[in-house]
Amino acid sequence: MTMDRRSFILGSTTLTMLGMPFLGARAERIKKRNLVVIMLRGGMDGLSAVPIRDKILNSARPDIIVRDVRQLNSDFSLHPRLKTFHQLWEEERATVVHATNIPYTNRSHFEGQDLMQSGGHTPYAERTGWLGRGIKAAELNSLAVSLPMPLLLRGAPLPDNYFPTYWSLPNSTMMNQIAATFDEGSLLATTMHQILARPRSMLEFPDGDGEEAVILAKTAAREMKKDYGPRVAVFDVEGFDTHAAQGGNDGEHGEKLGNADELLRVLRDEMGDKFDDTLVLTLTEFGRTLHQNGGYGTEHGYGTAILMAGGLLRKAQIHTDWPGLMTKGLFEGRDLNATIDARAVYCSAMAACFDVDFGYLRKQVFWGEELIDLTETLFRV
Amino acid sequence: MVKKRYFRKIAFGIGPHQKLPADPIQWAKSQLDDIPALSWKGDVPTGKALLDHYAHWVYTDRKVLRKRYKKDRKAYRVAKEELRHKTGERYFENLELCIRHDSAINSGAPVFERFWWFWCNHFAITDKDFMPEFTTGPYHREILRQNMCGSFEDLALLATTSWAMIHNLDNSESVGPNSKSGKYDRRKGRSVSLNENHARELLELHTVSPAAGYTQDDVISLAKIMTGWEHRYTKQRQECNPVKFNQDSHEPGTHHLFGKAYKQKGLSAKNKLIDVIGDLAAHPETVKFIAKKLCRHFVCDEPTSEIVQPVIDAWAESGGHLPSIHKAVSTVAYEFADQFEKLQPPEIWLLQMVNMTGASWPPTPSQMQYDFKSKPRRIVRSPHRILRELGHNPYRPTQPNGWPDTAIEWLSPELLIRRLALSKRLADKMQRHNRWKPQHMVESNFDSPDEVIEHLGVRDGNFDKLNHSVAIQLLFPSKWMLIS
Repeated sequence: MTMDRRSFILGSTTLTMLGMPFLGARAERIKKRNLVVIMLRGGMDGLSAVPIRDKILNSARPDIIVRDVRQLNSDFSLHPRLKTFHQLWEEERATVVHATNIPYTNRSHFEGQDLMQSGGHTPYAERTGWLGRGIKAAELNSLAVSLPMPLLLRGAPLPDNYFPTYWSLPNSTMMNQIAATFDEGSLLATTMHQILARPRSMLEFPDGDGEEAVILAKTAAREMKKDYGPRVAVFDVEGFDTHAAQGGNDGEHGEKLGNADELLRVLRDEMGDKFDDTLVLTLTEFGRTLHQNGGYGTEHGYGTAILMAGGLLRKAQIHTDWPGLMTKGLFEGRDLNATIDARAVYCSAMAACFDVDFGYLRKQVFWGEELIDLTETLFRV
Repeated sequence: MVKKRYFRKIAFGIGPHQKLPADPIQWAKSQLDDIPALSWKGDVPTGKALLDHYAHWVYTDRKVLRKRYKKDRKAYRVAKEELRHKTGERYFENLELCIRHDSAINSGAPVFERFWWFWCNHFAITDKDFMPEFTTGPYHREILRQNMCGSFEDLALLATTSWAMIHNLDNSESVGPNSKSGKYDRRKGRSVSLNENHARELLELHTVSPAAGYTQDDVISLAKIMTGWEHRYTKQRQECNPVKFNQDSHEPGTHHLFGKAYKQKGLSAKNKLIDVIGDLAAHPETVKFIAKKLCRHFVCDEPTSEIVQPVIDAWAESGGHLPSIHKAVSTVAYEFADQFEKLQPPEIWLLQMVNMTGASWPPTPSQMQYDFKSKPRRIVRSPHRILRELGHNPYRPTQPNGWPDTAIEWLSPELLIRRLALSKRLADKMQRHNRWKPQHMVESNFDSPDEVIEHLGVRDGNFDKLNHSVAIQLLFPSKWMLIS
């Protein structure tokens, strides 16, 4: 897997496992449900992950047609690299929202990746992320397993972060001597206290077989499984920006989908029955053009698909208001259009996982903007 | 008594061969009138040469390799890796970090270097495309550093119209709807629009700040004024052409900002942006905003008006003369040094550690030799790696407001763990190359040396028995080093 180790993020609503005094006010009262967000960076091609049966698609992309697809319903099928996702679909634990995106149409990765995390309309205008604001609104605490705090989780109260390094720490006697120099009650002392309270396993680079990303995903799953463990995890899979050699089944895009699917597999396998109380969903900055380009790739587009998996889903379904691939249905005559605001899906997902009213979250997280409540349509609540 | 923490507030501390300056304010001020030469004895490539490398990299990848290997992604990867070597895609960012860090320690004007770092972060270039790899370093050196002894107005104009900023904030994509090219594009059925990005950041981050109360109409108006400042896009060089004002994409007419009309004078509309920046640079909110930001960087997270006012006054009296402003900051930083504390961000702390111990950093020019044929050696890649690990690479802020300046942003368990762990790494290295003079360091840099001495376990002032490895690990992540 080629997930970026640096941006592997794990959120938490309770830090009891760390011996921390910051248990979220509501965390004890509500049933523990886990939310995992996988950020697919670079612009995931919804038409490649979940292709529609349509001659227009085949003629627009003669050299990158995805073959050996698995049929999901009479209209849509699934990329063959999404194996785990397909198994979960068969068990009624996978859902696709198609022809959706955040309300952003300028096709810049940087602006798009800012907005997919902030949930706003103006690039770089917000200093907090929708997930962070959601955690705050739900009165839960957070833990990011990332070195810099990702924008997505900013805004959560007292964020903690975890992100293993190969560098080793001074011995515990020295650590305590260093801690003793910090003024009591200062932010520095609080932060040092968080470090000292950590189990040893979180202070060393975790052992394990397989690639680094898999080891980290296993660590995340193990922590989330715990009753008082983290409730929110965020992962990154990079490399969806396939301007060239996108390929069909075995191309670059398929490989990245395979990476995301591998992550899903690790989470499902490691979490065991806790996967029933878990929702995994994807996030990307935009989809890609309908037509292939001269390099057998695709350009930055607009509408795409959200993939969701886990026991919190109501059933296996494709939720879409399909705009069609005829030129007049396309966005600016070139991209799959987005007919569903992706933020409605994210707001509904938080409502379901955090056990908070949709309308309240819509106000607290998305400035009261018009978003359709999909909680009951999509989730088991 | 000299306030010793000042040397870390305003510079990189006192090194093993430096004497404690008797008049710290004078010491600082004397470093601010001239631009010190970069101390790096190795190669210092020009921005133009690096833009050529950038052009070669993007053109060959986008226009040659992607087409040639469209059916063979393995061969594509191999070819792309070779191209990385040939263009120095993994090399130049490391070289730039060496140039930056070497000058911090060896240019003879560490206070100037700190102000340079401040402006690099104020006119920040985010981690976009291949800018950190090729162009952000030379932009810092050639545009910002070279203009730090003139006026803020000139610095702002040169930063705003630099290739780096124009490309970073997409101004080349902004076309006046009623301009010649805008009309042509519309006739051809192409969509034409303004891109407000650069205009918004020029107001919000680089000059007046939201406190000036501008409206969305002001932003649009400024975006119109800025149309035409672009780099041409050509097939051979892609986006890597120099910035030139292009009258054909400029939105014609008179545009208003804060109620004032900006008109074309003569045949070119170039003057409109120059006039606007003149006014923005002199705007009282710009002065307040940046004076406070300077004090936040050099004095404390929440500078009081008592701290900021002398800087505002110096700005106003000198008409935005940067050395005068820098001197005023240096003065208040000393005057308030014992009253307010500042957590130093990771990169500054790293260089303080290097300076105060005499550690071998950055890699030497001979270690940085590169053949442009293979993956750069580990030592060559170490600057980038260490800053990434510390979470603070000056060429890779993720947002256009640059790296944050307050403790709350830099204090998370993992970021603190990195400081603890890097101290241990330094300790391991220093055992082998020992240039450290602990007694000199403690006595020159800390206002309460006795506390530090006790923390290090030195008895009866006898430093001879000090275990250097243990002492380095205990000292550098301690309160006395993190905060100044």
